[in-house]
Amino acid sequence: MTMNKRLSILLLTAPSMVVLLGVFLLPMLLMLLLSFQNDEQAFSVENYLLFAKDPYYAEIMWRTIRVSLWTVLCSLVLGFPVAMFMAQATGKMRGIVTMLILAPHLISVVIRNFGWVVVLGEKGWINEVLLALGLIKEPLRLLYNELGVVIGLTDSFIAYMVLAIATSLYAIDPSLSKAASILGASRVRTFFTVTLPLSLPGLVAGTTLVFSLSMSAFVTPALMGGTSVKVMPVIAYEQIMATLNWPLGAALAFLLLGSTILLVTLYTRLIETKRYKEVFSS
Amino acid sequence: MTKLKPLGLITFFVLILVNLPFLVIIPSSFTAAGYLSFPPEGFSWQWYTMILERPEFIESFWFSIKLAAITAVLATLIGTLAAMALHRYKFRGKGIINGLLLSPLTVPSLIIGIAALLFFTRIGIAGTFTGLLLAHILISIPYVVRLVLTGLSTFDYTLEKAGYMLGARPLRVFWDITLPLLRPAIVSGMIFSFLTSFDNVTVSLFLVAPDTTTLPLAIFTYMQETLDPLVASISSVVILLSLLFIVILERCTDWNGCLDSILNPTKEEAQWTFTYYCNSINSN
Repeated sequence: MTMNKRLSILLLTAPSMVVLLGVFLLPMLLMLLLSFQNDEQAFSVENYLLFAKDPYYAEIMWRTIRVSLWTVLCSLVLGFPVAMFMAQATGKMRGIVTMLILAPHLISVVIRNFGWVVVLGEKGWINEVLLALGLIKEPLRLLYNELGVVIGLTDSFIAYMVLAIATSLYAIDPSLSKAASILGASRVRTFFTVTLPLSLPGLVAGTTLVFSLSMSAFVTPALMGGTSVKVMPVIAYEQIMATLNWPLGAALAFLLLGSTILLVTLYTRLIETKRYKEVFSS
Repeated sequence: MTKLKPLGLITFFVLILVNLPFLVIIPSSFTAAGYLSFPPEGFSWQWYTMILERPEFIESFWFSIKLAAITAVLATLIGTLAAMALHRYKFRGKGIINGLLLSPLTVPSLIIGIAALLFFTRIGIAGTFTGLLLAHILISIPYVVRLVLTGLSTFDYTLEKAGYMLGARPLRVFWDITLPLLRPAIVSGMIFSFLTSFDNVTVSLFLVAPDTTTLPLAIFTYMQETLDPLVASISSVVILLSLLFIVILERCTDWNGCLDSILNPTKEEAQWTFTYYCNSINSN
């Protein structure tokens, strides 16, 4: 029986483990080793130091972080009210909103970004309307700059922010806000002392997720940022596919991953250890 | 009701925003002009007939369909087997295997793509269909495992036992009892795998051969050079096909049940669930 059981487990898990090993674990290991290689194919940490030495790369890193932070802010400001609406809505309405916010995700991001290019371009919908209304004289530059990338990324990732926050709002006992208002708290006060603190786990999950995803996004910066907005994923891609400097490309990708993990860890530590600690432990 | 109003307005606005790309792409595709403009000038099918003159898009479309279909079948098979082992047996290293199966989701697609390219070049399958397929299977497996595990959580093993007691052979029990009960989960796994593969750009980017490319990648490359209504007409076709696909599948599977199980996960699963959405379907 035990023999049989072992054999079953082995046979059932073997195919997936082979794929994971051969397409994921070994490749990652190779990539890590390669990133520590210099031009003479000897071991060196040169590629990682380049980042500190060359202001060009530091600037790109900072731009990546800046664009990601703006994306987090935009999706939070727009996403929180949607999550609140979902929490207050009835079952059917909640279902419809969930459906409509997730539906775009079933279509490739390339196509969605193309839609935004049509809307934001120089002859795009927004510029044509504003020009026709006489509100502007020159078309606004909404594309191929950081603004364009932030718009595209917010569109891409806002759903995760909404769903993360909504999940924690669903869990709040509605009698708590009722109690607050009976005790004379205004709606604003109730929001800041009851709803917001209790939604923190979802808010932290949402912001963390949107930040990490924005940091590693490649398609949107490439399509909506053009050549002027170079972020880390774009230069890593260029090093790998155009310059063919694989060690440097690999190192850039790992630097991106490393800084993302570092920033996210710092952020969650900072929030979870302060006065809202108990919200997270429950 | 009054306090819902501002929230309702913002929600409406956001829902319009996230669906705006589709609202603009389809009208733009019918323009009679040679460039993208608003409002679309005139009405014409010219950009649709133009697709037929661009064999690379049609070829990449069929290539994507083929790739996604094979990915869906293989990833579902491999993932279902692993999920069954994880659910049925207690064994040493189960936690590790479980973690490993979900791990491709925690790493950005960009890094998965680069790592696969470097490794596949070493073993000589870079730029081949096999390499691309393997990478797509890898990013689809976590989905399938998760969906089938959810399906198994309500699985009644006494039914299988009853089958054995009545003298059925293991294969017969699997075919007549296990498989039909798991069907909704397996079908959902296939849908997600198919879409994951069909929509992927970032992983494919590093692994396609120059002459055989996937459709999203063909659009991506074209868009970087030219912006004309041709992209709009191709995109409209893809959007309509995807809608059709989703409607058909919704009719014949317990799509809502599976969507529910993803949207309302237990607490420890919550973090994973969102990560799913992000990395797989939306490979940005």
